Amino acid sequence: MTKTLLSGIAVSALTAVVVTAQGAGKPAMPGLDVTVTKVERAATASLRDCPPGSNTVTAITRPGEQFALVTVSFKVAPSFKPAPMKRPTITDSGDKKFNTAATFVDVGSVPEFSCTFPFRVPEGTKLKALQIESTSYDLSALESK
Amino acid sequence: MEIDRRAFIASLGGAAAVNLMDHEAKAEALEHYMEEKLDEMVAAQQPEKFPTVAEIEAQIETRNFRRGAGGLFASGRGNMQKLPPMPAKPTLKDFFELRFNPANHVLQSATRAMKTGMSEEVILACLLHDCVLSLIKPDHGWWGAQLFEPYIPEKSAFAIRYHQTLRFYPDEDAGYEYPDQYYRIFGHDYTPPAYIEQTYKMLKNHKWYMEPRLVTVNDLYAFDPNAKVSFEPFQDIVGRHFKQPKEGLGFDNSPSAHMWRTLARPDSPL
Repeated sequence: MTKTLLSGIAVSALTAVVVTAQGAGKPAMPGLDVTVTKVERAATASLRDCPPGSNTVTAITRPGEQFALVTVSFKVAPSFKPAPMKRPTITDSGDKKFNTAATFVDVGSVPEFSCTFPFRVPEGTKLKALQIESTSYDLSALESK
Repeated sequence: MEIDRRAFIASLGGAAAVNLMDHEAKAEALEHYMEEKLDEMVAAQQPEKFPTVAEIEAQIETRNFRRGAGGLFASGRGNMQKLPPMPAKPTLKDFFELRFNPANHVLQSATRAMKTGMSEEVILACLLHDCVLSLIKPDHGWWGAQLFEPYIPEKSAFAIRYHQTLRFYPDEDAGYEYPDQYYRIFGHDYTPPAYIEQTYKMLKNHKWYMEPRLVTVNDLYAFDPNAKVSFEPFQDIVGRHFKQPKEGLGFDNSPSAHMWRTLARPDSPL
C-alpha cells in the first residue's frame, strides 16, 4: 500500500507542471527565454547573483516588512549575446516600484538556470508585475496561488 | 512538496543510474529524497535565534584572545603555523600569496566588481577592502585605508575607509541589504556607535558616496565557498593603480611602512 502510494507520488511529483507567467510582447533579451515560476513570501532571503552561485549571506527584514521572492527560470539560446542587464524590479497593485539587491552576473555562462529575486516590501503588498529590461511579466496570477 | 526532477535524478547518479533501478527502488529513493528535503524545509522554517549584544559581550571571558586581533595573530582554531618567509622586497602580490592568503573573500568581491563593469578604483578597493583584517579587526575600514593610502588612488582609499560605515545601513536602490551575519556577530539589538552614525550622515551627501557603497554591495555577494578565484585577473589593475615601492612594501618609509612590516613579521616579539 505504502509502496503503491509512493509510486503514485513519484509519478505526480516527477511530472509536476510548473505554473508560469507570460511576458507581454518581446523577450527581455534576444535569445533569453524567461519564465516566472513562483512568488513566495519570507522573512529572510538568500543573497545570490543570477545565475546563482553558493553565496551564504542572507538578508533579513525589518518589522512590518517581508521579502517577496520571485523565482524566474531562464533558458539561453545560442543566439543570445551577453550584455549588461539591469537589476529586475517589481511593481505593486498601486504601481509602486521595488528594487531587488540581486544582480545579473555572467548571464549566458550556463544554458539554463533559475534565480530567486528578493524584493523587500511592506507586509501584505500585492504584486502586479515583474520588469526585466523593458519586458513586463504579470505576477498577479501567481500571487493568488 | 514540489520536487526538482533534475536534482532528484542527479542525486541518484544521473539518468543512466535511474534507468537501472526497478520501480520499487525508484519509489524508495524518492521517499528518501523527500524525507531529506522535508527535513531541510523544516530546518529552514525555524527562525534562527540571534544573540543579543549582552550575550556576545558575555563571551569575552570565555576566550584567550580578543575578537579584534588580526587573523595573523589569533586563529581561534588550534595552534599557529609557521609562516613562509617574505621576499626581501615584497610586493602586493607577495602579501596576497604569503600573508593574506587565502583572501578568497576579497578576491570574490573584486571579481564580482569586475564582472559587473565597475570602475577600476572600485575594483581595486574591493580587492583590498578587508586585507587589513589580517592585522586588526576593529575599525578595519580606517586601518585598511591607512595601510593602502600611500599607494592607491584617493577614491579607492575613500571606498575602503567608509565601506565599514555603510555596511550598517541598507540601500535597496544600490542593491545593499542588511545581512543576517551582522545580527550574528554584533547582536540583533546592536546599534552603531555615534561616530559611525555621524560618518554615515556625512557620506549620504558626499559626491563619492557610491564608491564605498559599491564595496559593501560586492562584499555581500563574496561569501561563496565554491567560488574559484585568483589574483591573476587583477594584475593589470594593480599595475596601473598600485604604486609598488621599489624598496618593497615595509621598507619605503611611507606612513604605513611599519604596518606592512608587522604583517610580514607577526611573530616578532617587540
